[in-house]
Amino acid sequence: MSALSTSLDAWGATWGTHSDERAAWAAGDYKLQFFTPAENDLLDRVMEVIMPADGQSGGAHAAHVSLFADRIVSTGTDAANVDLFANLAVSSDSQKSEWRKGLQLFKEEAAKSSLAEALARASAGEANPQTDLERFFVKLKQMTLVGYYSSEIGIHQDLEYQGNTYFYEFPECTHH
Amino acid sequence: MAKELCEGGAKVIMLEGGKEVSPSDLLSHKWPYELPFANLRGEKQAYFYQGDVATSIRYETQARVEVDRARVLGGRTMHWNAVTLRYAPPDFLEWTLAGVEDDWPLTYEELAPYYDRVEQIIGVCGNDDGLEILPAGKHYLPPLPWRCSEHILKRATDALNINLISVRKAVLTKPYDERPQCHHCGHCMDGCDVSAIFSSPGCTLPKAAATGNFTLRQNALAREILVDREGLARAVSFVNTDTGKTEEVKAHIVVVCCATVESARLLLNSASPQHPAGLGNSSGVVGHYLHGHINTTAQVYLKELQGRKPVNQDGATDHVYIPRFDYRDSHRGYAGGYAFQVNYDSYMFPRQAMLLKGYGAQFKRQVRTMQPGYVILGGFGKSMAAKQNYVSVDKNRVDAHGIPIPVVHFQYVENDMQVWQGMKKGLQQIVSKLSGDVFFEESTGPSGLASHEVGTIRMGKDPKTSALNSFCQSHEVKNLFVTDGSCFTTSSEKNPTLTIMALSMRAAEYIIKQRRLGII
Repeated sequence: MSALSTSLDAWGATWGTHSDERAAWAAGDYKLQFFTPAENDLLDRVMEVIMPADGQSGGAHAAHVSLFADRIVSTGTDAANVDLFANLAVSSDSQKSEWRKGLQLFKEEAAKSSLAEALARASAGEANPQTDLERFFVKLKQMTLVGYYSSEIGIHQDLEYQGNTYFYEFPECTHH
Repeated sequence: MAKELCEGGAKVIMLEGGKEVSPSDLLSHKWPYELPFANLRGEKQAYFYQGDVATSIRYETQARVEVDRARVLGGRTMHWNAVTLRYAPPDFLEWTLAGVEDDWPLTYEELAPYYDRVEQIIGVCGNDDGLEILPAGKHYLPPLPWRCSEHILKRATDALNINLISVRKAVLTKPYDERPQCHHCGHCMDGCDVSAIFSSPGCTLPKAAATGNFTLRQNALAREILVDREGLARAVSFVNTDTGKTEEVKAHIVVVCCATVESARLLLNSASPQHPAGLGNSSGVVGHYLHGHINTTAQVYLKELQGRKPVNQDGATDHVYIPRFDYRDSHRGYAGGYAFQVNYDSYMFPRQAMLLKGYGAQFKRQVRTMQPGYVILGGFGKSMAAKQNYVSVDKNRVDAHGIPIPVVHFQYVENDMQVWQGMKKGLQQIVSKLSGDVFFEESTGPSGLASHEVGTIRMGKDPKTSALNSFCQSHEVKNLFVTDGSCFTTSSEKNPTLTIMALSMRAAEYIIKQRRLGII
């Protein structure tokens, strides 16, 4: 179909079509490219604490968010397109290695007590991070949120998002 | 322009630097989890920035400023929210009324008939709200229905005696001109797969093609406009980006419409013995007076809507608009002003998650609870047309096709900073009447130019201080026209596209008349 076609049939050709395809990270059908299995396991557990399962929806583990993180870090470019997410840009090897170092810091911190307590300490300076651990937490949390709210679970189960579909009529607010 | 010229009997060949993206290739409706990077890397809009256009530019500025260089058939009409506003009569008279910048070489009254015609061709929804600051047409499609958050916002603005109106935008709220109506998916900026939002490939180019007078060359990146001995345009040299070879197309008249940065780049790259400073640039103004919009935003999560059962709120992005109101304050201390666009964002991703502190079950619940209350307000303010802000070309650095790249030089001027401060104050004023969680944009200065950059090949009455006359015709190269935003003399708080289209139509009519008279 050409964009220069004025045929209504041509315009309508894509109506109502939704694909069942899933990116490999989202389907869980993904082979780690950057993190080791042990690192991924730690990442998965930390992310689940950040975004846990609850009565409404599955958490980061069910949403394969650690695999999303591996995908993003392993294929790093300077193309994080939205300012809000610029902290996730991984355009150099040193930025990639920050992820590995950050996870190691978490591992060491958790060894002193528990993962939950390590996370609590790392997040204490979230508003104004000063240490490597605190800075890594900010990055880790953002990655978790972007991955989670880009997943089927995050979008459909948790937020119950109703859009991205074809509505002939948009329902005007009837409350006011 | 192509449609008008072809319908006027001209044989037109259009050189498009990019290529067509067919509606069926658009990724607008893809879910993030269907995309390899969940759209984190702009996958949905990547096809609007073909080749190396995104990287073949340099910024020499400390200001938070960015220009938009879409390269795709249809240009930015493939990638816009379609807010379609007329300039008001005072917007053409900055020097006369405010003692700043310059007056345009034409008036609102001269442009109004073309606004009328363009609105009818492209299809614009909205109302005539009877506002002098925002003149209206007479041929609007029904306005978009309002969301709950917009009714609540209306209560707040009413309390401040500030207008909040149905937005006017080039989105079809009913079938029109063989195009279907909007299906309210909220993906306007990712490309409309049914052309309910105006785009030139979906609306005007097919009409041009239907005349039999239209030839489209895609992947034809203009390198240089060539001139004859008298210095008139005779041909365009372009790179066939499929083959890498340079080709040439001859023309009686050349109309440049590459967008503000690229058009200036093309003219500056078209220097010749007859035009040593660049084509049509003996005044030295080509490239200068780059300006556009300055921005600030606030995200509000209305208490009244938090925790409600989620409903589809995406719609056609903006449904309402807050026109400029600061003009009522005669002591505001700056020229021009600002207005607010509302809810121009998708509701899919919960942006508050990136702003709230904490984590865990309570955090997750808070994000979920807040989401139905989301409303975003974005200020669009005037920036000054200042000669010090300009586009140059770097002869020492070329793009993938050997064409010198553009360089953006920009600093906000004092009036811009004052507009920005005023805009933040206005935003706080409105938000103070709302009950909810509020996140203001944190920055030490404005951001710009909001994809609304204009001014680099300005029109004016004086050939010493402008490059074009009121018909977008070069003062010194009579068969050269420039009909994109670069022709603007000054800008207002209003989105520029409708004015670009009206000026373009007026220029096309002029070209046809001049050709019939044998003048050009």
